[in-house]
Amino acid sequence: MRTGGQPIEALRKGMEYLAGQLGNIEIRGAGTTGSGRQLASVIIGADIVKNEITAHAVAAQNLVPEVKTILEIGGQDSKIIILKNGVVYDFAMNTVCAAGTGSFLDRQASRLNIPIEEFGSYALRSDSPVRIAGRCAVFAESDMIHKQQMGHRVDDIVRGLCQALVRNYLNNLAKGKLIAEPILFQGGVAANVGITAAFEEALGKKVIIPEYYDVMGAYGAALIAKRKMEKSIDTNFKGFDACLRDYSARSRECSGCSNVCEVIELFSNDELLASWGDRCGKWSSRLEGRPLVAR
Amino acid sequence: MPAKVGIPRSLSYYQLFPLWKTFFEEMGAELVVSGPTTKKILDDGVKCCVDEACLPVKLFHGHVADIKDRVDYLFIPRLTSISKGEYICPKFGGLPDMVRTSLHGLPEIISTEINLRKNKRNSLKAAMEIGHYFTDKDSQIKSAYKKAVGCYNLVKDNFEKGYIPDFIRPGKTAETKSLEKDRNLNIALVGHTYNIYDSFVNMNIWRKLENKNANIITIEMVDEKAINRNARQLPKKIFWNYGRKAVGSAMHLLNEKNLDGVIYVMSFGCGIDSFVCDLVERRIRRTTDLPFIVITLDEHSGEAGLDTRLEAFIDMVRWRCTDKK
Repeated sequence: MRTGGQPIEALRKGMEYLAGQLGNIEIRGAGTTGSGRQLASVIIGADIVKNEITAHAVAAQNLVPEVKTILEIGGQDSKIIILKNGVVYDFAMNTVCAAGTGSFLDRQASRLNIPIEEFGSYALRSDSPVRIAGRCAVFAESDMIHKQQMGHRVDDIVRGLCQALVRNYLNNLAKGKLIAEPILFQGGVAANVGITAAFEEALGKKVIIPEYYDVMGAYGAALIAKRKMEKSIDTNFKGFDACLRDYSARSRECSGCSNVCEVIELFSNDELLASWGDRCGKWSSRLEGRPLVAR
Repeated sequence: MPAKVGIPRSLSYYQLFPLWKTFFEEMGAELVVSGPTTKKILDDGVKCCVDEACLPVKLFHGHVADIKDRVDYLFIPRLTSISKGEYICPKFGGLPDMVRTSLHGLPEIISTEINLRKNKRNSLKAAMEIGHYFTDKDSQIKSAYKKAVGCYNLVKDNFEKGYIPDFIRPGKTAETKSLEKDRNLNIALVGHTYNIYDSFVNMNIWRKLENKNANIITIEMVDEKAINRNARQLPKKIFWNYGRKAVGSAMHLLNEKNLDGVIYVMSFGCGIDSFVCDLVERRIRRTTDLPFIVITLDEHSGEAGLDTRLEAFIDMVRWRCTDKK
């Protein structure tokens, strides 16, 4: 499911759905990952809070133990993880540029009036892709508009876009890295057959899409939580009911010094649960005596 | 009343402050140093500086704005070269002009050129020129210069032994630093001093690493003789002062068996870093198996991105350490 910029609401809905699906079972451990991992860990009471790079690597290795390269493209960021002798050897994450991510595709698909789910099949129908500048999402869009006006077929433009994204990804993230097989492609964008085809074409290698490609981060976090809880400690998990309580987050500017940090505060029924975002630790360390954000 | 000399806490401050401090105090001047970097200083700098400059240069402008109304002189030397046969970033040479054209209502700027590329003795010549702002007595300037150089060397020597001087100490770190055998992880933090020791710009990378039980080693903690010995092995001489130190110290540390990983901190858009970072990375990849990561600092880099990268990097280092055992 998509957070749609509202992580708390998305989490609530997700937990509600899970509770309905699972029925009355005992949860022995819980883990969170991704950019909202701190927020989610406070709400559900997580046993581990893990960054998405490690989580993705753990998950991929569990499914394909001999994996050497992980390509991951999500909505807002993309990563490459290189493994050697069964351990993470190197990784890279996209910097400020969004041209190599899912949101880029989303945007271009909606411009072309194609549902994102069908985007890939359009690409596969093309036999002469159009060259689109993939360096920058903004320039790619103007390039694409130009190509449309020139009268190129939509299929060819879509395939060109897939190639542009892959080219940008490989130039940006994979620069100087040895991409060896087996290669796993995970993250939401792995659902796009056009991108997968473009990767295989550019690399000249086979790309495997794992079964749980779209939730590999969560799968990895679950595995890490499981490993920790095997030492039979009590879980921090607050239960499904706790997740359905009323949570709200708000930000305010701290006026303590001229850094004017944007402090984020998480409330439940007017009770302050956690705060973070301050540079000095004045607010984040105030509650429960521990900083919630790994610093 | 003594003349007030303003020194921005930026760029060369992180390397040369002990020199400036002793010299100006010996000249009977009162020093005013801008405060540690804050969001306001950053905003002020970004507002007035030319858009194309790198973040550290923009910050320099902010630090000037912070003190310009409180001092009689601003000390912005025109640094062309600070070591024989080597250059530094050309922007250092243009700083006085950039500041003059970008900021208004400035006090007098002491912008003496310091160029030691051809001759080390040019530093005394520069000192005489600066000193004449405060006194006519050449002997007083000479003795102040001697004392300042002595003080600078002492701080530098102690730094090489692992003692981080007070004027740049990031966070609480006070103990002597070295490659510790019993410590959890030894991480080399390679980068320009003004990025490595400014905890605002580097988003508290020291605290973040130390909270993960990492022991940090920087270029300044490596014996300069060892740096030079290693840098000489390169097929071609690096003509930047920083470049020699960064590559030389990295090469030296790579041979230390207790080193667990290297983090290269660079400014977005830095010309020198773009070369040096690549040189360091190639050395590491070709000669070792050490974990290596580049952290790029920019005005709009989010803290979450840094946290994720550091966490994943430390995970990777630990994963490999346990795998070796």
